[in-house]
Amino acid sequence: MTRPIMPGIKRRTLLLGAAAGLAAPAIWRPSGARAQTSRIVVRDDGGIYTQAYTEVFYRPFTEATGIQIVPAQAQAEPTAQIRSMVETRTYTWDMGKISVPAVLQLTSGDTKYLEPVGLEAEDVIQSIPQQYRNDYQVGTNVYTTVLAYRRDAFGGREAPASWADLMNPEQFPGRRALRRHPYDTLEQALMADGVAPGDVYPLDIDRAFSVLDRVQPATDIWWTSGAQAEQLLISGEVDLISTWVSRAQSAQAAGAPVEIVWNQNIWGCDGWSILAGTPNADACRELIKFASDPARMAQLVEFFPAGIVQPAAFEQIPEDVARSCPTYPENIATGLQIDAAYWLEQADPVIERFNTWFIG
Amino acid sequence: MAAIPATARPPAATRRPMSRRSKQLLMAAPMVLLLVTFLVYPSAQLFLLSFQRGDGFSLENYQRLLGTPVYLTVMMLTLKISVVTTIFAVIAGYPVAYLISILPRATKGRILFWILLSFWTSFLVRAFAWIILLGRNGVVNQLLQTLGITDAPVALMYNFPAVVIGMVHALLPLAVLTMLSVMENIDRNLTRAASTLGAKPGMAFWKVYFPLSFPGVTSGALMVFVTAIGFFIFPALLGGRRETMITQIIIEQIIQTMNWGFAAAVAVLLLVVVLLVFVIYDRAVGLSTVTGEARATARRRGKGIFSQVGDAILTGLGHGSDAIIGLFPRRRQAREGAPRPLTAFVVALLAVMTLPVLLMIPLSFADSGLNWPPQGFTLRWYEQIFNSPIWMSALTRSLVVGLCTATLALLIGTPVAFLMVRGRMRGKTALLAFTLMPVVMPNMILSVGLFYLYARIGLVGTNLGLIIGHTVIAVPYVVLTVMSVLRNYDSRLDLAAQSLGATPWVTLRLVTLPIIGAGMISAFLFAFTISFDELTIALFTSGGVSATLPKQLWDEVSLSISPLLAAVSTCLFLFVTVLIVLAGLLNRRQK
Repeated sequence: MTRPIMPGIKRRTLLLGAAAGLAAPAIWRPSGARAQTSRIVVRDDGGIYTQAYTEVFYRPFTEATGIQIVPAQAQAEPTAQIRSMVETRTYTWDMGKISVPAVLQLTSGDTKYLEPVGLEAEDVIQSIPQQYRNDYQVGTNVYTTVLAYRRDAFGGREAPASWADLMNPEQFPGRRALRRHPYDTLEQALMADGVAPGDVYPLDIDRAFSVLDRVQPATDIWWTSGAQAEQLLISGEVDLISTWVSRAQSAQAAGAPVEIVWNQNIWGCDGWSILAGTPNADACRELIKFASDPARMAQLVEFFPAGIVQPAAFEQIPEDVARSCPTYPENIATGLQIDAAYWLEQADPVIERFNTWFIG
Repeated sequence: MAAIPATARPPAATRRPMSRRSKQLLMAAPMVLLLVTFLVYPSAQLFLLSFQRGDGFSLENYQRLLGTPVYLTVMMLTLKISVVTTIFAVIAGYPVAYLISILPRATKGRILFWILLSFWTSFLVRAFAWIILLGRNGVVNQLLQTLGITDAPVALMYNFPAVVIGMVHALLPLAVLTMLSVMENIDRNLTRAASTLGAKPGMAFWKVYFPLSFPGVTSGALMVFVTAIGFFIFPALLGGRRETMITQIIIEQIIQTMNWGFAAAVAVLLLVVVLLVFVIYDRAVGLSTVTGEARATARRRGKGIFSQVGDAILTGLGHGSDAIIGLFPRRRQAREGAPRPLTAFVVALLAVMTLPVLLMIPLSFADSGLNWPPQGFTLRWYEQIFNSPIWMSALTRSLVVGLCTATLALLIGTPVAFLMVRGRMRGKTALLAFTLMPVVMPNMILSVGLFYLYARIGLVGTNLGLIIGHTVIAVPYVVLTVMSVLRNYDSRLDLAAQSLGATPWVTLRLVTLPIIGAGMISAFLFAFTISFDELTIALFTSGGVSATLPKQLWDEVSLSISPLLAAVSTCLFLFVTVLIVLAGLLNRRQK
């Protein structure tokens, strides 16, 4: 996965760069000039994230520093965009909230498309547990996949409480939906088969598919998008489903009688990363420090049950709200962290096998 | 070459070919330039990736593509879904287009309104409407149970019919409008003449009217097919295990695994298949339907095996339908206007087509959850839209971008259509294939290619960037629509006007354009709607700072499903209604 995404562009960029270097000595400006930043463009996930981050992070940051923040959204995994911007040195964004797999993609090759964050020495960063950060990223939100079910479908009988129950249609009959993708689904299959969370990676693919073979005839729907999964729960199309917790929570908010099983949740982390070479890197670092403040993070729950990465933030969050957060100590303790490095390496063959199996 | 004939003094005979060629070049140049810069160049860069592994040339992606059965299986499934969709869309669309073409102006407008209405509803909204209609606890199942027809919910979704229903619904307006642009120009006196000469209604239809409308049928089918083959929302949301389409694989490779090389290889497979379909189409139906000129040669051939078989089939159909008509008691003699069964069929079809749109109206007042029946009553979703500058600016941007796109696409596409139909030149088929590239090319590939290009020339996040991208995908529709109109336009009318002393410009303004006006308007509407409903390019190149309406809807859905979706859809419904009513009023004032 280390090959450059567009070699053609790279050569061209070199030529362009050479030409620009001859023509414009301003490019060699010392880094001191960079402190002049008056505006940075920050990529986030849009929707409620932009809304919450604007209130909690961006606007207060502008008030404190005078630096304007322009929120920008794009496709789920903007790695292609980031590569293109760094290669062409046209910074439509300066930093972004991206996933760990995206960080690995962008930094595992010879060319590093992200700037080392370099804030490890800061207290406000050190208090974020190590599992939520790396050299190129400071975590800011944990997302997680859970088992969710309709209370009304399990009235008067034992409700499912684990992946094993989801994958056991005999004992837990009901219409069920799984994600139409090997990500998370294979992990669930293995845990359902009795593999301990610590032993899930590297995945035993054959074993996972033999579990899926068993459960496939009883699986009514294979969902492809979060919106669809949410609709399945709201309309009562299915009784039990594995889905992102945010979707199950949205269904709850819409009034659907939905219960969330946190046991064996499968989580990953999104975080702030800075685009390599952006002239505004220092301002980006200031924003990252600002947004990592526990008190500020705690305010996010006014907008959604955020996957807050500062343990100290929970001191300021009411207990009943905190229980809905993916990083609430009891929730995260039973969870399995997605092995982004494993998937980076194995995604291609496993997805191919999944698709082959799926079409049957 | 009558459309834009040589200007000024008649050129010397020796110079003629030279000047003709340069004029042809000039007519095609804007489109060729547009497509080369903003389609061929960016996607060629991506396609190079499909031959790349590490630093060198490699066929590894293709070995994997052809060596793993799953991809060819998915390609076959894609073809099956697209072909079935095309057949149903054309069969269902033909009577609608026919009815509209024979109706008086006022009624015509009303029916066109219902067609456009569903055309204007975002694909995303329509897909969710079908989910609400066909789900286990959906509208249809509730109805069936209430009526006592079924005891338990029936599985209406996550199967092949559901995908085809969704896709036919999505593409029917395209089929209708394409066929309509041809039918509008068929001289109805020809059918009357046939009747006078003793042909019964069935025979007159199949042997006279139908062959004349055939270019519309085939170009409608072609458009529906090439659009259908790139779909992914409907199979993803309404289909089951066997309803997987190739674009889903491409998207998966790009978004989930970020394997551009392989995604590009899959896209090449799709392109090759589409080109193959073109060749087969060319051989079977003959180019007759695509460039008017070739049809003339086909007719001259006359005795070809295809035309003989076709003629026999049509004669059979004629006898058959006359026999069926004969079974019914004779009604009042020759009522002018539309036959009643036809009207009934069209009205029923339009009702089904409009259902998903109308469904959104009650849902938009629901308290929470996009679910049937709606719970509670609230106006808060509307408040949210109207109080939000984001939604208002998204709407404005979509309108501006849509209008600019439609204008630009019409300006660029019309000369090409004239060239294709009227121009005598070699390589027409090649030019047509080139024109259709944006339709065939998966939007995902185009969008990413454009992003790379835009990032370098500073067009990311600009309206201009969006307009250019949308024009690229809208131009083929304009060219095909205008072409099908021109094909049925008698160019001797132009010659007549000129022989009476009209200048070329006056001929164009007073003769050609008024006659092909209806077709031009539908071409404009096509282009506008394509831009208005376009999501992929907006996702990639709007850079997020500024959103269009579909992108704003997408952002909303990627967060949660709420009646807000229905409220936006209802607002658009009202907006289109007002627009079309206004247009109707203006039209009446003019007369």
